[in-house]
Amino acid sequence: MSFAQRRKFLWICFLAGLLLLGITAAFTGATTFARLRFEDLAQQSSAVARLRCLSSEFRWERGELWTETRFEVLERNKGLLSGIITVRTIGGISGHLHSHVDGVPIFRQGEEVYLFLWERPGEPYRVLGWAQGTFRIVRNENSGTETVTQDSALAPIFDPRTHAFRHGGIRNLPVALFELKLRKALEQGN
Amino acid sequence: MKPACQTFLYRLSSILLSALFVTATAQSAAGYAFNQVIPDVRQPVSLSGGSACPVRAHQLSASSSIAVRWSTALSTSPVSIITQNQTTATRLTEIEQVISESLAVWTGVTGTTLNPATLAPLARVSSQNACGSDGLNSICFDQADMAFTPGVLAFTRVITSDALGEQIGSGPIATQLGQILDADVYFDPTDSQIAFATPAALPTSPQAYDLQSVLTHELGHFFGFSHSAVWSAMMYPYAPAPGTFTGPRPTLQQPDAPLADDDRTGLRILYPDPGDAVNVGTISGRILPANPLSLPLSPPNVTGIFGAHVVALDQASGAVIAATIGGWSCAAPGPAQFDGAYELDHLPINRSYTVYAEPLDGVVSPAQISPAIATLCRNSATDPGWPPLQACVVPSANISFTTRTR
Repeated sequence: MSFAQRRKFLWICFLAGLLLLGITAAFTGATTFARLRFEDLAQQSSAVARLRCLSSEFRWERGELWTETRFEVLERNKGLLSGIITVRTIGGISGHLHSHVDGVPIFRQGEEVYLFLWERPGEPYRVLGWAQGTFRIVRNENSGTETVTQDSALAPIFDPRTHAFRHGGIRNLPVALFELKLRKALEQGN
Repeated sequence: MKPACQTFLYRLSSILLSALFVTATAQSAAGYAFNQVIPDVRQPVSLSGGSACPVRAHQLSASSSIAVRWSTALSTSPVSIITQNQTTATRLTEIEQVISESLAVWTGVTGTTLNPATLAPLARVSSQNACGSDGLNSICFDQADMAFTPGVLAFTRVITSDALGEQIGSGPIATQLGQILDADVYFDPTDSQIAFATPAALPTSPQAYDLQSVLTHELGHFFGFSHSAVWSAMMYPYAPAPGTFTGPRPTLQQPDAPLADDDRTGLRILYPDPGDAVNVGTISGRILPANPLSLPLSPPNVTGIFGAHVVALDQASGAVIAATIGGWSCAAPGPAQFDGAYELDHLPINRSYTVYAEPLDGVVSPAQISPAIATLCRNSATDPGWPPLQACVVPSANISFTTRTR
């Protein structure tokens, strides 16, 4: 490839990148979700904490089936939280009935997560923006390192225009870097 | 059909090369993005069907079988639904027209058993709290729900049963496995920052979300869809920005115009028309590593790569025709086998396709990312007394391969 060809190729890559950025920026709204930036999550949350899932149970209330998950608070990043908190999400299982809403996070006993929590007075905590406010922690069994991945960033998105998969949100970020990012976002909100 | 199935090369983390073998597999089940449930095989066969294979959630699609009502109670402070004409009567007419058109988007797809006649006449109800687990499908614009938080505009709650004979409220008794017994669409009326505008009002309300796009997406859930990872699809979880809308507007000539081909293919899988002679193509195969030692030891019997996102592209137009999360198959009496299988069904014939695949990189546990793979297994840990021969454990998605086409 000649210098001129290479320069032309680099320009095309640059312009394609700009186009992709433009397209991405246009997708700021949502059907089920309005897209929340990390800074939005930090600012709009009532509390942020690293939690360990203890147990879940289902209950009917106001004509809907709910899942109430108990978490042990491991680290408080924002807000006042007691040692054990309950987070409520819509959906669950009762007898033979399975109530489901897409985008609602489901937690496994023992797993650790960072949750951006939101509450109304007198009601249990909810996860802000559902999948968007859920950041799961994965520990590499070999190296012992921990990384953080946002639920809403898990699945690759296929872009028919570029015929390529792409990812968004926070994926596989080392915990130390995540905490740094979180601290900065929380400081900006103060 | 002669699809041009491309062969992929998969590179494991240690740059080992492995091949994807595309084979015809009659028994593999698609893991398309649908809401699905595993029948409770602890029940008699007459109630459970006897198979632990996942069943897709769906509405009954006989004539007038799908009843939908909507609550005419509308939020006034803040005004959450903006119409062109704000007088009460015309407001309701305008909103009702949007609901009818949004339903018609899904009943206007060829090659499905869903058609306008499957819908009962749209009914109105004045109750503010019309949505709830009562066996009646409802759309509510002014019912505050404890599930809403900032960032959640609207959602659809779907209730299915894992056994026949179940009933909710005064709704129909489940006569089919996977039958949706109640589906309600909630719009957030409480957030002063959020408003939805009808198509007629949207041009003058650039800060509002397009009611038709949001509702059409939610009705996709109503009919059994989960979210799609294809960003041009109606079932992509993020809608267009305020002031804009998804795809073209529906027309009388093409009521399903807002849908992408990916959505249409999904609908044909959910509600297949036995008389359809066009959309009968299938691309299926297995994703296998060259080195079987790279497969996980736990859970046992994982014989292929699990959790790959597979997309079929029309070679001529470049449009995404179908997408699936592959890596498993299931044949009665189950359970699901994690053999690397994928299957893209109901593809238009006489076309050539390119197939792409990508790992669900970054997955903690596939059980948490999508109902399409969360509900593949039940076992004695999740359900006491579950028969061991029909039990399985969903493995972690394989994220240590990369793909290249040739």
